Amino acid sequence: MEAINKKWLHIVVNGQKHEIEVRPNELLVDVLRERLRLTGTKVGCEAGDCGACTVLINGKPVLSCLTLAMECHGKEILTIEGLSDMTTKLHPIQKAFVEHNAIQCGFCTPAMILTAKSLLDRNPNPSEDEVKEAINGVICRCTGYIQIIESILAAAKEMREVVREA
Amino acid sequence: MKHKNFKVIGKSIPPSESFDKATGRFQYVGDIQAELYGKILRSPHPHARIKHIDTSKVEKLSGVQCALTHKDIPPRKLPRRDQRGCYILEDHVRFVGDEVAAVAAKTRAIAEEALDLFEVEYEILPAVFDPEEAAKPEAPQLYPGGNVYGPQFGLMVERGLNEPMVLEWGDIEKGFEEADVVVEDKVEVKPQVHSPLETHICIASWKGEELTLRTATQSPYEVRLSIAHALGIPENKVRVIYGAIGGGFGSKYIERYQAIAALLSKKAGGKSTKIVLTREEDLCHASRAGAKINVKIGAKKNGVMTAIYLKSFFNLGGYGNVIGGSMRFVEESPSLAYKYQNARFEGWDVHTNHFTSQPYRSIALPALAFAVEQVIDQIAEELDMDPVEFRLKNLPESNDMMPVKPHKNPIYPRGRLDAYPAKQIMKEVREKIEWERFKGHRQPIVVEGPKRRGIGIAASQGWGGFCVGGFINETVILNNDGSVHILSGHTDLGTGSNTTLRQIAAEALGIGIEDVTIATGDTILGHFDLTGARGSRSLTTAGHLILVAIEEAKRKTCKMAAPLLKAKPEDIEISGKKAYVKGQEKHAIPLTKLLTSTVKCTVGGDPRDWILLKGAMWPFVEPGKKTRNPIVLAAEVEVDVETGEVKPIRIVTGNSPGRMINPMIVRGQYNGAAIMALGMALWEEFNYDSKNYVYEHASLADYKVPRALDVPIIENVIVEETVERPPSVGPPYGARGAAEFACAGVLAAIANAIYNATGARVRKSPMTAEEVLQSINRENPQKK
Repeated sequence: MEAINKKWLHIVVNGQKHEIEVRPNELLVDVLRERLRLTGTKVGCEAGDCGACTVLINGKPVLSCLTLAMECHGKEILTIEGLSDMTTKLHPIQKAFVEHNAIQCGFCTPAMILTAKSLLDRNPNPSEDEVKEAINGVICRCTGYIQIIESILAAAKEMREVVREA
Repeated sequence: MKHKNFKVIGKSIPPSESFDKATGRFQYVGDIQAELYGKILRSPHPHARIKHIDTSKVEKLSGVQCALTHKDIPPRKLPRRDQRGCYILEDHVRFVGDEVAAVAAKTRAIAEEALDLFEVEYEILPAVFDPEEAAKPEAPQLYPGGNVYGPQFGLMVERGLNEPMVLEWGDIEKGFEEADVVVEDKVEVKPQVHSPLETHICIASWKGEELTLRTATQSPYEVRLSIAHALGIPENKVRVIYGAIGGGFGSKYIERYQAIAALLSKKAGGKSTKIVLTREEDLCHASRAGAKINVKIGAKKNGVMTAIYLKSFFNLGGYGNVIGGSMRFVEESPSLAYKYQNARFEGWDVHTNHFTSQPYRSIALPALAFAVEQVIDQIAEELDMDPVEFRLKNLPESNDMMPVKPHKNPIYPRGRLDAYPAKQIMKEVREKIEWERFKGHRQPIVVEGPKRRGIGIAASQGWGGFCVGGFINETVILNNDGSVHILSGHTDLGTGSNTTLRQIAAEALGIGIEDVTIATGDTILGHFDLTGARGSRSLTTAGHLILVAIEEAKRKTCKMAAPLLKAKPEDIEISGKKAYVKGQEKHAIPLTKLLTSTVKCTVGGDPRDWILLKGAMWPFVEPGKKTRNPIVLAAEVEVDVETGEVKPIRIVTGNSPGRMINPMIVRGQYNGAAIMALGMALWEEFNYDSKNYVYEHASLADYKVPRALDVPIIENVIVEETVERPPSVGPPYGARGAAEFACAGVLAAIANAIYNATGARVRKSPMTAEEVLQSINRENPQKK
């Protein structure tokens, strides 16, 4: 029965093309974590309340625990693993999170960083309130958000300077 | 304290795990796959006996590996250090959600489906939910000995049940007679749920008779000890891997679900079995103890407090522990926040048919301060005194002998406060919140239509995070190239303690932080830690012991260097990967030339610590001295008197960490703690429908933890004060714990600020719009 319903999903994850046979009710978060073993995307509530499963689909933050994998057919997905080369060079937002101690337990960090990337891509010079609004859907239980907000503003500044120099 | 030029401590160095956390490479337990998925069947009744349970339909379901009921478990209790022991499963369930049975299956979906196939017949028992009611002899009994769980000393020892915990000095009757003003009031504080972003999780597997348990826990050696005891196997056959934890805040210790996973895996021939609590399970699983607190305080016209009588009932839930409630060492710090001339603090820890109370960041302090600080403001108002001035008159300072009179029942010896800049913190917080705007007790600082702004202040005291002997084992290995490897029993919850401990070691050895590595996260290291990451003690206790081990490693190395340097060992210094006669660094011998192997030193507390100290964990830095954290908190709020909605505008935290080893980490702890307590104060509402037996706060949509837009301006007053001592004596370099102590005053300061804005006292927390509006209407109808 299941086999009949399975469909081929074509997605690009972190720049790499994938063709995966999925069930119609299979969630994006399970495809990422269980099939592709990209475990940087976290699961906190499975109900769309905590934001820990946020990934970017065509640049926009989406809750992967509420998204059917098939809805992503033909789309580009960015997870935390795709943001930098993961060896030594960090994305400016990642770097700012590390340097400003915006990371404690780290469970919300991938979602926070990706949400911040989406914000800075469309608004390179956000106000503090705009930052708060952008990340309001992602819960952080450790930091009280203060150092996260500072990091995003610092990263925005650095990214603007890089653009200016270029 | 004379200034020293530190090279590594006092610097804001990012935690070493942050790189992996920022790139998604940090591996949590949930990121590891298992062969089987375990689910727990939970009680639909708050109090019942299982008359009959049948698993035959469960076991017939395709994909189910095995089921587990109370009939399958060993007849040994799962001891929990400061809780009543309980069996892994019992035929007696004590709250809605209590563990009834469990199943392991190939997939989570099958395990969930299987839960519906258990056939259980319950005998429903009468239930009780209010701790004050539950303390009465006629209340439904959860345990044969009664619901009150009184003072206990000694590891895993249950005794002294059915008594309140009492701290008392002087004569309160006399004290109240001497008072010109006496105010009595009563508050109620609902439980706060920890809700870390990662829910409780473990994977159990067996190889022969050896169990491996990967779990997110703050107290791995307690997990090892308890599971070994309950399963009747030696401790060295249980390995706990605990390296990654997605937030704990006091919720993640030894739990039944870990033992259940171990038994399911064993029944399944050792197959790895994962149990992960759903968010709903996690939100109805453990909490900070709810409390009902009565406070009576007397003071003279000059503002000196002559007496306090505090009586508290803490709700332990079905299995909660006294550390979640009013364990005496918890109560000693708030009792010493002021120089009360006469005092009686009475704490009743009472079991009810709610889910379990657990320790929680600063445990009972927010509730106690919410009670005490509102009464203090009322006294100040009756005496027509400024709230800050009143507190300054009663706060103790460094070297004050506390309490001011000897304890009647000397659980704790008296001692002088060590480096305790409470008054300075109070003054700096006053300046930062711009207290000159305070116009009077019931006079809002700003009125704009229905919106009133008010400011409030509160003080408290926390323990210092420093355990006298220390129950953690630490090994320092000095390699022949001068680099250092530490094996540690502590647990880094994401607070950055691995990094601050490396900073301390690097400073003591005159090397860079990059020359120090630390291994923790696995009980295979065998570095026992009785207590785990609780009580803000990782940096202080592990740090102290690391410095003691370094001293010993230096002594050994100096002895070996002495003949080569033609000097006495005591004249030799080991620093910067070299040995040299003090003052003659030019003629140093590199350690590479002195050593072909490593110098290794292991230290730990006295293995009898807990017994010798009779349960008092942190009385002294050195004989006659108490290390405590002075706490002040100020809040500015805007209250809409038509809706009751409270908007926090500004929070000023005031603390002393002794010395900051890593300022960025200290600040992160204060900010995180203050916002967490702000959630408790205003939005996070535990809700139980006792008619339909439903917890109504069971999702993060209903249980409103703070989000980014809720966050007000936060400023930190941090006053460093240390006493001149060798770094390895007492708290390491004078550093005290920081993680918990910005929580304590938040509820109280918000309540006092609401009073300043509206003239209404809010006696229930959380101070939701509904609660605040009721208080405004009840107490101050003319303001409407």
